[in-house]
Amino acid sequence: MPRYELALILKAMQRPETAAVLKRTIEALMERGAIVRNLENLGERSLPYKISKHKERHKRGGYFLIDLEAPPSIVSSMMDHLGRDIDVIRRVFVKHPVAKAEECNGIIPVSPEEKLSAKKN
Amino acid sequence: MAARAVVARRLWQRLVPAALWARPRRLQHEGPPEGQPERSDQPIQMDNPYKDPPKRCVLCGINVDYKNVQLLSQFVSPYTGSIYGRHITGLCNKKQKEITKAIKRAHVFVKHVGSWSFDLAVGF
Repeated sequence: MPRYELALILKAMQRPETAAVLKRTIEALMERGAIVRNLENLGERSLPYKISKHKERHKRGGYFLIDLEAPPSIVSSMMDHLGRDIDVIRRVFVKHPVAKAEECNGIIPVSPEEKLSAKKN
Repeated sequence: MAARAVVARRLWQRLVPAALWARPRRLQHEGPPEGQPERSDQPIQMDNPYKDPPKRCVLCGINVDYKNVQLLSQFVSPYTGSIYGRHITGLCNKKQKEITKAIKRAHVFVKHVGSWSFDLAVGF
């Protein structure tokens, strides 16, 4: 199954409420057949700009990162589900950036003949 | 008489296989006989051993992530928040593209890419 990363920004709330939101989010994920690998808290900080969401203007938010493995059909249904949750300010599903072994060989110089042969990418 | 002889020889050549017209094996110039080791004075084919290793850009080998805001801020103007072009960053094709995509993704995920001073413009 492909790996996704769900980046969430939650409303700045007290600990028990944040825990409740995270719990129901992860339960919803597991209901749709996702395997949650890891949950990271990137801290609560002030947002770089004010976000208006669900009839509220937010200046602070808690950043969370959920590492999961899920079938691709989960994306649209989860985005819908999280869109209806008033405590979630922003949700972003990203393919997990698996740190692959960088085989960067450096800048290989292009010979002038290759540049002249008008190759279209 | 000579012309007729030439013509006759040409016809004869066509009838006989070409291999018989070749110089016999023992008179052809061969390499050293198989018993002796190869001691030719021709140069050995190899790549230039004095060639410099390929030039690497600053991020060659470094994993670029949209969460790594400090790394991304280095490629963004502290005044306008605009992403620097390739002629300024000096990155290779691949890495410049990766950085641009990561910065735009970080903006979506509400990550502040840029210096944290409040009086400077945020850039988006």
